[in-house]
Amino acid sequence: MTWKNPLKILFCGWLVLQLSGCGDSEKKTDEPPPAAKAAPETSSPPAPKISLVTAKTRETYQWYCSQCHGLKGKGDGVNARLLTVPPRDHTKADYLETRTDQQLFDAIKLGGLAVGRAPCMPSWGHTLDEKMIHSLVRYIRELCECEAF
Amino acid sequence: MRFIPFAMSLGFLIWVSPVQADSTLTEKHGCSSCHRFSAEASKEPAKTPDLFYAGNKFQKPWLEKFLQSPVVVRKVGTSTDPDFLKQPLTSTPPHPSLTEKEALAMADYLMSLTLPDLSQGTVDDVPLTKGTRVRVKILFERNYGCIACHEGINLAGQARGGISGPSLANAGNRLAADWVFHWLKTPKKFIAKGRMPYFNLDDESAVKLTKYILSLKVGDWK
Ligand code: HEC
Ligand code: HEC
Ligand code: HEC
Repeated sequence: MTWKNPLKILFCGWLVLQLSGCGDSEKKTDEPPPAAKAAPETSSPPAPKISLVTAKTRETYQWYCSQCHGLKGKGDGVNARLLTVPPRDHTKADYLETRTDQQLFDAIKLGGLAVGRAPCMPSWGHTLDEKMIHSLVRYIRELCECEAF
Repeated sequence: MRFIPFAMSLGFLIWVSPVQADSTLTEKHGCSSCHRFSAEASKEPAKTPDLFYAGNKFQKPWLEKFLQSPVVVRKVGTSTDPDFLKQPLTSTPPHPSLTEKEALAMADYLMSLTLPDLSQGTVDDVPLTKGTRVRVKILFERNYGCIACHEGINLAGQARGGISGPSLANAGNRLAADWVFHWLKTPKKFIAKGRMPYFNLDDESAVKLTKYILSLKVGDWK
């Protein structure tokens, strides 16, 4: 391929942006990607009113989620600084108030990419059952001391 | 007819003695104070990587080299350790190393440690075509987000990516293809409870990801 055609160069730049994964620290940004335009494919009936946060919920969070979100949910896990998009700080109410429980549930179950967030948030739907995911949503609500508007 | 049991026990002696000699080797070098060399050894979570399936997992030349001049694969420790990530990491103590002669004998022994029921030949050795490799790279870095927890290799040939999982930057020299396939399909065969999400991959995707991982090599590694 020759690089004479500026359009080609432009196209390649665009391609690189489109295909970028979540590990290229060169393009680190603190801005979250724009929210998904299409409604995320919903995966399950809405969260039941009561799901409890138990010791098992906290252990599960510390076991898996802490790798990126940190032990206390502050978004400072060991992988955090190596990701293109930083993991959410689950103690920040101002953002989490703008997300419904269903949106958080879907992000955990289906992963970031499926719901229009960053792909570095993996999908946990084959690792955790729905009951646990619901209770993780409640736990995140405890961490941010906030509810959806 | 007295001869047959005698021959059998002789055969048994010959068969068993080298392995025995080597398993005392792991005690002599203190390996067994950290690693488990048998699946039955313990039901407790492993604080260091298990080696009872080392013969399935590794490429022998990597083992021979690692045992003489160890490299860090898990920058923040072993994920199966219940204390993993609980304390900020000060520094990982250097891994014990062996002389060349000891390392070759140890690698022989480690390669003899295999699980009985792992199918072989799950991944053929036809490499991915350029185009397919680009698509699988996108699966690795974007769709599945493997790179969020594992180091891969970027376009400049540098290791880059998350560090909570073992580095895959030199996986092409380190891991055996069949083992990677089985790990992706049925991780519970090797680790009762790890921290990697389960992806429920079909065989075709698992083969492609395996081939991609096996293509990751650190340039100056000899
Ligand atoms: C490999 C790193 C990683 C792990 C492990 C991880 N996350 Fe995330 N998570 C992220 C990143 C990065 C984001 C930010 C995505 C964005 O803003 O686009 C995120 C975002 C989120 C969000 C916010 C989604 C939204 O609507 O904006 C929730 C909720 C969440 N994670 C829950 C969890 C839970 C629960 C676990 C454990 C089961 C977990 N995460 C494990 C990386 C991770
Ligand atoms: C003080 C504890 C300790 C001792 C003693 C020890 N190891 Fe290790 N070994 C570790 C740890 C921790 C790792 C993981 C290092 C890493 O991933 O960077 C490891 C990694 C390994 C690996 C690579 C495993 C993998 O899955 O990546 C092999 C092979 C190995 N050790 C063999 C041995 C042998 C053979 C001996 C005896 C000569 C030995 N070790 C002694 C702690 C120990
Ligand atoms: C949330 C973090 C995370 C994500 C995402 C992740 N892994 Fe892992 N991976 C780990 C951890 C941690 C281990 C060590 C075993 C364990 O705890 O499960 C591991 C182990 C491995 C191993 C074995 C390495 C060794 O030397 O023992 C391979 C191969 C692997 N992962 C490949 C992948 C692939 C391919 C993907 C994407 C499809 C992926 N991983 C996604 C965290 C992750």
